[in-house]
Amino acid sequence: MSTFKNNNEFGSRLMNHGLRTICLVSSLVALNLAGCDFHAPQFHLNMVQMLSDATPTPKPYQEQIADVLDGMFGTPDEPFALPETGLDIRKLKMSAGPAWTDKKGAAFGLYRQHCVHCHGIDGDGQGPTALFLNPYPRDYRQGVYKFKSTYNPAKPTDEDLQRVLINGIPGSAMPSFSLLASAEIESLVEYVKYLSFRGQMETALTNYVYNDLGEEEITDEIGEPVLDDEGEPVTKLIPLDPENDEEQRTAITEMLAEIVEGWNEANEQIIVPEEDAIPTDVENLKALAASAAKGRELFYGTRANCMKCHGPTGLGDGQQDDFDIWNKAHKQFLDSVADGSGEPQLATEREEVAASLYPIRNAIPRNLRNGIYRGGNRRIDLFWRIYAGIAGSPMPGSGPASPGAQGTLTEEEMWNIVDYVLSLPYEDASRPQRALPINTELVN
Amino acid sequence: MKHFWSFLFFLVPVLGVATFVFAPHFNIWLPRDISEQGRTIDSLFMFILYLTGAVFIVTESVLFYFVWKYDGKSNEQPVLFSHGSHALELVWTIIPAVTLLFIAIYQMQAWAAIKMDPPPISYTCEVTGRQFNWDFRYPGPDNELYTLDDIVRTDGKLYLPVNEEILLKITSGDVLHSFFLPNLRVKQDVVPGMAQKMWFKGKKTGGYDIVCAELCGWGHYKMKGRVFFLPRNEYDAKLAEFSAEQNTMRVEVPEEE
Repeated sequence: MSTFKNNNEFGSRLMNHGLRTICLVSSLVALNLAGCDFHAPQFHLNMVQMLSDATPTPKPYQEQIADVLDGMFGTPDEPFALPETGLDIRKLKMSAGPAWTDKKGAAFGLYRQHCVHCHGIDGDGQGPTALFLNPYPRDYRQGVYKFKSTYNPAKPTDEDLQRVLINGIPGSAMPSFSLLASAEIESLVEYVKYLSFRGQMETALTNYVYNDLGEEEITDEIGEPVLDDEGEPVTKLIPLDPENDEEQRTAITEMLAEIVEGWNEANEQIIVPEEDAIPTDVENLKALAASAAKGRELFYGTRANCMKCHGPTGLGDGQQDDFDIWNKAHKQFLDSVADGSGEPQLATEREEVAASLYPIRNAIPRNLRNGIYRGGNRRIDLFWRIYAGIAGSPMPGSGPASPGAQGTLTEEEMWNIVDYVLSLPYEDASRPQRALPINTELVN
Repeated sequence: MKHFWSFLFFLVPVLGVATFVFAPHFNIWLPRDISEQGRTIDSLFMFILYLTGAVFIVTESVLFYFVWKYDGKSNEQPVLFSHGSHALELVWTIIPAVTLLFIAIYQMQAWAAIKMDPPPISYTCEVTGRQFNWDFRYPGPDNELYTLDDIVRTDGKLYLPVNEEILLKITSGDVLHSFFLPNLRVKQDVVPGMAQKMWFKGKKTGGYDIVCAELCGWGHYKMKGRVFFLPRNEYDAKLAEFSAEQNTMRVEVPEEE
């Protein structure tokens, strides 16, 4: 009987132990949830820009710029758009904030659900997964987009951004989002534009502070400069405070208007091919071959000089030591940090920022024999690439840089190059090697 | 409670069986089958499910009985050890072996039909998996892949004719993926450097899911697409539309509002 009792005690001890473990584990989980104090995500400043040699920005100004941006654009959870921007706040709210779904099944927080892990909360292209991607995700803050229908310096149209979302960017890690509802895609486009507006405004403010504000001599009541012990005039920073400074407010309003204007006039900057230069017989293989032959001449000729970068074989093995603007900005910053030049009081901060940047990558010209076209595989897409070049990358445009200007090539010649480029993947030299017999046996 | 543990462990098989019994009522059963060979696959699945289900219930009941009967708390007899029964071991080895052999032979025809005997037709489409998207290349009007008139689509939407034999070529642009059409009961691993074949016949028009069924990286969960089965005339029209779109050389400038 006593054994029985002991057993029972042992059993209940075991059960107590089990219960204790369960309590411990669940309290650990609870602690972990509560202990990870959750901060609402915030926008960050573009520190490469703030600490660059071109526009070194002292700490007080950094904070003031952040304040002004906060007032103009709100936070990632609570975006705000001034009426001047023309942004649709309802569309923005669909994409902003944490991801959730309402009772009717409408999705919110789309940017954080679909985009943020690559493009980052600031749209800086430095989300957590960005390091593993080649090419790096786009940094929206410069407002520069590669695959668009407009002249090189112009902004993309909404349709251009939608096309990228729907088709993805083959050859990169950007997938297609064609399964999203069209309202969701429109909302994401609006949010991407919002991030660009914000980034461009940040650059404009940084330049404004550097060029127009700065140190000012303190004067006393009668307008004489106040001198310190050594007889030098005492200085202070003119604060960036558009709320109380009429002049600054006007300047900032103008800067915003200029940025918004650039985006609003995108539709007027669309490259419309001349009707009489458009080839009429693309279905005719003979005519196509003749056109491609002309394109080939141009490809290797000195005027178009595609060969320089895309290589004598079209494999993209020409000159490869250039950078796109995003990598170039980082490279310049890293070089200047390595030099140890610039403001000494910013040195430690500069080094910290330099250490946080991803490795610089060269701009590698496209391998034209793969048949993979990042900006779309329609003839007009290729025509636009040749006409306007690729904004932000070393790829130059062969057409005029703006409406009415003079280009290097005629439109007819550009269509010839389109034909040649489209035929390249199907040349014998581009064919992949046949699979080994052992493989084909397995397959068949 | 005296037999607490034995009852607790008995909950596992009870809940396991209950899941299968109630799943169809809560609409979490197999996705709708729209394929020709799907019925064979599903009946095989059900056959094996009932067979293993019966074995499961019997073995779990025996297990429960032993746990219950020889509960340490109520066991007042010294424990006995025995070598066991030679005859019994033979029985429970030979019966499962024969059963497994039977299943292996019984399903052979179904396996051959979906994995070994491709129909003698040309490819309907080439599917390329890449992190994290499905790209499609249609052979175009000349019915031959890798020619100038190929149609390449990267928007993750695959269009196929309904009620026709389809032969897909499955390739990878980077790592392992698996092209899975749940509504057609076909799944094929996508191996870099190899060209796999997949064939089926869709019997119902409409849009159905394409998913990746092989962990291929952090974006695996969102590597989704859609397959649309269209009547032949609509399918031809769709491809003609894609072909024309690829040859687009004009642009419509949106009107100022």
